[in-house]
Amino acid sequence: MLDVEDLSVSYGAVQALQGVTFQAREGTVTAVLGANGAGKTTLLRTVSGLVKRQSGNVSYGGVELTGLSVENIVRLGISHVPEGRGVIEELTIDENLRLGTLWQFGRQERRSVLDEIYELFPQLAQRKRRMASTLSGGERQMLAIGRALSSKPKLLLLDEPSLGLAPLVTAQIMALIQELARETRLTVVLVEQNVRSALSIAEEAVVINLGRVVIADTAASVAADTELRHLYLGF
Amino acid sequence: MSLFINLTLNGITNGMIFAAVALGLVFIWRATHIVNFSQGSMAMFTTYIAVTLLDRHINYWLVFAAALVAGLVMGGVIEVVLIRPLRGKHALNPVIVTLGLFILLEGLAGSIFGVGNRSFPPAFSQAGLTFGHSTIAFSHFDLFILAAVVILMLGTLVLFRATNMGLRMRAAAFAPEVARLLGVRVGRILTLGWALAAVAGSLAGLLVAPTVSFSPNFMDLILVYAFTAAVVGGLDSPVGALVGGLVTGLSLSYVGGYLGSSLEPLGALAILMVVLSARPEGIFSRPAPRRV
Ligand SMILES: Nc1ncnc2c1ncn2[C@@H]1O[C@H](COP(=O)(O)OP(=O)(O)OP(=O)(O)O)[C@@H](O)[C@H]1O
Ligand SMILES: [Mg+2]
Repeated sequence: MLDVEDLSVSYGAVQALQGVTFQAREGTVTAVLGANGAGKTTLLRTVSGLVKRQSGNVSYGGVELTGLSVENIVRLGISHVPEGRGVIEELTIDENLRLGTLWQFGRQERRSVLDEIYELFPQLAQRKRRMASTLSGGERQMLAIGRALSSKPKLLLLDEPSLGLAPLVTAQIMALIQELARETRLTVVLVEQNVRSALSIAEEAVVINLGRVVIADTAASVAADTELRHLYLGF
Repeated sequence: MSLFINLTLNGITNGMIFAAVALGLVFIWRATHIVNFSQGSMAMFTTYIAVTLLDRHINYWLVFAAALVAGLVMGGVIEVVLIRPLRGKHALNPVIVTLGLFILLEGLAGSIFGVGNRSFPPAFSQAGLTFGHSTIAFSHFDLFILAAVVILMLGTLVLFRATNMGLRMRAAAFAPEVARLLGVRVGRILTLGWALAAVAGSLAGLLVAPTVSFSPNFMDLILVYAFTAAVVGGLDSPVGALVGGLVTGLSLSYVGGYLGSSLEPLGALAILMVVLSARPEGIFSRPAPRRV
């Protein structure tokens, strides 16, 4: 379980997060929603150690994350697909995928893990040796997610996976996320602007506005709250 | 005609040395985006270590290896002690530190090893090879220079292209933050980049020293030419360093041979001006990557 407690983060004078508290349970999808600039990306970046907190606590499975380096947080089984995907264009598709496996697997195991990823994303399998820069937006998203999965994480942090994707591709990716959570007990924290899609696959939802949690409840009750939706989610 | 051949051979040999130093600059540029002005003096320092060991009658090749290892350690330590604390600060700070280091190392070498000229025995004969009646400006030692730098280049290529460490190094260079999110200990990779750069530099120092009567500033001009080579090659490409080295070596050799050796520095300046105005990113650099 990911446990965020009273977390505050600031960039100089900008207070990006203030007193944020929520949990993400094992094997569930928790949607993090909110307008542009709400602080969603900051939240994920703080969990994975890229941004230092001002106060509060973040722990995963009882292990305190604050103070750990990014590299060590990854080694606890936490995988972060950053906003804009973070595909490394100067590397091939295979190299991108392999990179996520280097810190833990031996040669043999690495091969079988990568084979699993290629099975999940056959489009990628056909172009292993091509540069990642040749991929379309949707294929890049698959590569980014596949690469995050290649380390066999227990917690997956996704920052706007649907950004710039056609509705059909978005639906495919959402279905995949839901399936992963259900079948492999993966815990997912899903930051999304695409509120409907996110709520349709999430069990829990956290709505953030100007760095504060407006509500943290089941996805169903957030979706049912018309006033909340109008105020903060724009539909 | 024979002048042309000799100038060409001379240019190739010098170019290989520029390439080795340029490769060091490329390693550091790729890892930390710093132009390392102390690249030459680091190499000078390990060369002095080598010549000191040779004075003690230690086996030549053992000394050779020791100087390379000294470079490895020195590069790593400099990164950890001087460069790492400046990370995240203004980009100019570490460059100034490398300038300071350049002055410090030359001063230090002067006071430890003396400022007088020294000589370094060559590993192989420096007499020009003869074909029939004619002798060319290319010796067994020049052949050794060629082979050593080719091995250095091939080693680099294999490291980057065929090993997991090379994959980590490339990822850390292109996208340090993403690399960290994938578990790459980027800090260590940067240290390794500096260490390998210093090894390339040390090798160059060991290859230059026998050809000159040297003092603590003997790598200064070579650094300028290597910098020219690295810029020609685009600063971030090992292949570029090799080609840049050869282009610079050959050009300067022709300039020196046909126009007078005092014009060589001007020739380097001319090459820099032409490359920087025609193709500022260098001939072998990747075009600016598309960000999505
Ligand atoms: N590196 C930074 N330096 C200064 N301010 C920042 C930085 N990153 C984010 N901010 C500010 O912090 C606030 C939260 O930004 P954040 O990127 O977390 O929002 P977000 O919810 O992810 O927005 P979006 O939906 O547009 O991606 C914003 O006001 C933003 O301007
Ligand atoms: Mg964001």
